[in-house]
Amino acid sequence: MKKKIRITLNGNVVSPEVPAHRLLLDLLRDEIGLTGTKEGCGTGDCGACTVLLDGKPVNSCLVLSGELDGADIVTIEGLQIGRELHPIQQAFIQDGGAQCGYCTPGMLMMSKALLDENPNPTEEEIRFALAGNLCRCTGYAKIVKAVQDAAMELRTRHTARQ
Amino acid sequence: MAELTIVGKPITRVDAQEKVTGEAVYGYDLVLPDMLYGKTVFSTRPHAKIKRIDTGKAREFPGVVAVITGKDAPWTHGESIKDKPFLAHDKVRYIGEPVAAVAAEDEDTAQAAAALIEVEYEDLPAYLSPEEACKPGALPIHEDFAGYRKSDFIVTAPLPNVCEHFKLRTGDVERGFRESDLVLEERYTLPTIQHAAMEPHSAHAQVDPASGRVTIWVANDAPFRALHEIAEALGLPLEKIRLINPLQGGGFGSKGGLKVEPIASALAYHTGGRPVRVKFNRQETFISTLTRHEAILYIKSGVKKSGSLCARQMTIYWGAGAYAEKSPTVCIRGSLPAPGPYRIPHVKVDGYAVYTNKPVSGAFRGYGIPQGAWACEQHMDELAKRLGMDPLELRLKNVFVDGDLAYWGEKLHSVGLKETLIKAAEAIEWGKDDISKSKIRSPNLKRGKGLACISKPTRTPTLSKAAVLIDASGGVTVLAGTVEIGQGCSTILSQVAAEELKVPLEKVRMAPLDTDVIPFDASTTSSRSTYHMGNAVRLAAIDVREKLAEMASPMLEAGKDDLSFADGKIHLKEQPQMALPIGEVVRRRLGASGFLRGDSSYTFEIGKDLDLETGHSEHASAFYMYATQAAEAEVDEETGRVRLLRMSAAHDVGKAINPLNCEGQIEGGLAMGIGSALHEHLVVDETGKVRNPSFLDYHLATSLDLPKMIPIIVECPEPEGPYGAKGLGEPGLAPTPAAIGNAVANALGIRIYDLPLSPERVYWAIRRMKKKVA
Repeated sequence: MKKKIRITLNGNVVSPEVPAHRLLLDLLRDEIGLTGTKEGCGTGDCGACTVLLDGKPVNSCLVLSGELDGADIVTIEGLQIGRELHPIQQAFIQDGGAQCGYCTPGMLMMSKALLDENPNPTEEEIRFALAGNLCRCTGYAKIVKAVQDAAMELRTRHTARQ
Repeated sequence: MAELTIVGKPITRVDAQEKVTGEAVYGYDLVLPDMLYGKTVFSTRPHAKIKRIDTGKAREFPGVVAVITGKDAPWTHGESIKDKPFLAHDKVRYIGEPVAAVAAEDEDTAQAAAALIEVEYEDLPAYLSPEEACKPGALPIHEDFAGYRKSDFIVTAPLPNVCEHFKLRTGDVERGFRESDLVLEERYTLPTIQHAAMEPHSAHAQVDPASGRVTIWVANDAPFRALHEIAEALGLPLEKIRLINPLQGGGFGSKGGLKVEPIASALAYHTGGRPVRVKFNRQETFISTLTRHEAILYIKSGVKKSGSLCARQMTIYWGAGAYAEKSPTVCIRGSLPAPGPYRIPHVKVDGYAVYTNKPVSGAFRGYGIPQGAWACEQHMDELAKRLGMDPLELRLKNVFVDGDLAYWGEKLHSVGLKETLIKAAEAIEWGKDDISKSKIRSPNLKRGKGLACISKPTRTPTLSKAAVLIDASGGVTVLAGTVEIGQGCSTILSQVAAEELKVPLEKVRMAPLDTDVIPFDASTTSSRSTYHMGNAVRLAAIDVREKLAEMASPMLEAGKDDLSFADGKIHLKEQPQMALPIGEVVRRRLGASGFLRGDSSYTFEIGKDLDLETGHSEHASAFYMYATQAAEAEVDEETGRVRLLRMSAAHDVGKAINPLNCEGQIEGGLAMGIGSALHEHLVVDETGKVRNPSFLDYHLATSLDLPKMIPIIVECPEPEGPYGAKGLGEPGLAPTPAAIGNAVANALGIRIYDLPLSPERVYWAIRRMKKKVA
């Protein structure tokens, strides 16, 4: 049975009509055509499909569309600040945080969620936050470094604004 | 050589931007107009005759366009042995073998219809261990093996289910053992593991009804090999097949050969010309694509009191799984250097690739080297212990150095192995155990250090072609068949083109990979690309540069040899201000839409093929990669848990074209190696079923599982390589488990012969030892 839902997606209000059992991941990828959110397992074990739901990171393969009416969703396509890359994206480029890149969107969204909540995380806190996001290419070292660098850049910007 | 401007610099990846914004389109993301959705039905039996397949209900299901079985796809394929059907014919050989497929208007319909297909089986005895499957009297898994089409290099054995027998014969091992002061024999094993690339497998296919042309969109790491294999199987000329390569979300060996391609292309013959997409989910990827060979290794060595190795004999059983895939070449190239990178006068190796009723094994990053190293490098430590020698010292005494004649008959050069040993050991303060041990927090915790080294050949001889285009805007386009699988080839090859043409990197772009327009390349495997394709792109860039210089010569009123390139311009050597942008030269001569093209072809000329009786060759490999990794581990005697404190990895890369990228490859290799050492095991139960086909149960290393990693780049230049480069991708995980095994043995005084070093296995090893002592 199809259901019309009203969501805010990357800052824009959209009202897709979807079967209530359609996964948020499939809603994004197949119905809306935003394929930046990746499917790695479909069972909530790898984190590749991480998006922000009302500011919190979720595995979009575990969320049903029917539950989403009124939700605010941010995907990798909405991470940029205007035309500029988000400092986390910039840091992943600079530090070599992406190799094949398939886990990268999920990693970036999880990192954003972490830094929104904890602007100055320790290495251990970063590793803990990313433990549910699997990467088979990098060995995580350059990802952790990228999150540290992004955190510093964000703090610098924050201080500059004050 | 002129000074390098961009080669050797740690520049950021050229494909990073599209990857961090989510714009990158992978095979799994691809949507084609009017496409259908495929779903595969897999065997539920490890070994059985197919009595009957009932597709009636599926065919009648609303929204279904096609249902096919092996009868509709009477084709077989295989890299060196043509043994694998597109869909099972008459019998199945493992749980997870594709048996039937459905194409429907949407995913849900395809899935529902596939569930309605009924298959009736008559079970046959299943073989789940390679050692059992080749015992005299075992029943054949492939009754028609003798009749299969095979490559010339395949050597069979008078044993059941052996699809390749590799032999190495050097000197006289029996004499070597007699002349030794100490002889030691051991048995090591490794379980099946899986590549677990983050992007699962998928393929899209379309057959044009008018021309019969087959187009396949697939993230395959060897598109030209796939094209040949499909054409040969379908009996079509090469020009009737086209492969388009979207971006690949990791492969590590799993995405070469044919996996989903046969199912998608077989379905596409029944859809009236509409494209069809076949995706495997994670579970299907685990059971039905590819795995790494489980292996059983017997190793026997004779050594003098001085530590000089006299003789080494190895017998290796490689579990091929149900189909040969790349097992023959893994067996050959994994067994050949298995006795280790050492001077040994008497060597005998027998490698057997053996069919079993398990998921198919094939290429996996390292290509047989990790298995040999797990046995050989721990065995070296056991020898050192018995000789009362430091393991590093024993290795330094025996390892290959420049000018050595390797036991396979090749004179070695550019051997950076000793340097890797010394640097990797230094990085974890080898020999300074007291400092480290004094930091231990509890008496249950034991600390130890270990190291392991390897040499790795590359697939030889192989061909890479390339083209480099300069357009009227000064843009440079590289046409190269190397697949960007995450390893960074697009960045490396862009650097090579930019270096030779002296243009800024932003002016270089890699053409998308489409076999209709891209020149031939053998494969993106075997750490061959930087060397082979790097050479090809370099030569193509030089070719177009020469043409450009010739064209500019009258414009600048100077001889060709008086011209030089810098900053995207061609100028007079003596008067650099007399310059023309390279695009301007093209525009003046060929017009605004013109372009100039350079072409090249690179292959390493092999001295002599591997002798099938002795395994000898004057040139078994275009180049060799050398590496040493060292680990410091802390083991909890109460729980058996191994915690890594730090790991160093020193890799001889010849020349680091991009040090940032090299570090990434080393760290990634280490992580994969650590996963295979401590966690990974694709568990096949006694019924032939994979018990853990998910990321919840198949434990990849997470960000919390990894220690401080110390990547070390060693540069011992290879004269034939571009700027001296060798390769790097594959060795990263090869010595890792053995280095960790040696650290654990050093900590506990107990040798563990089987992987993974899970807490349970380590715990029981400790218990058994304590019982023995008591």
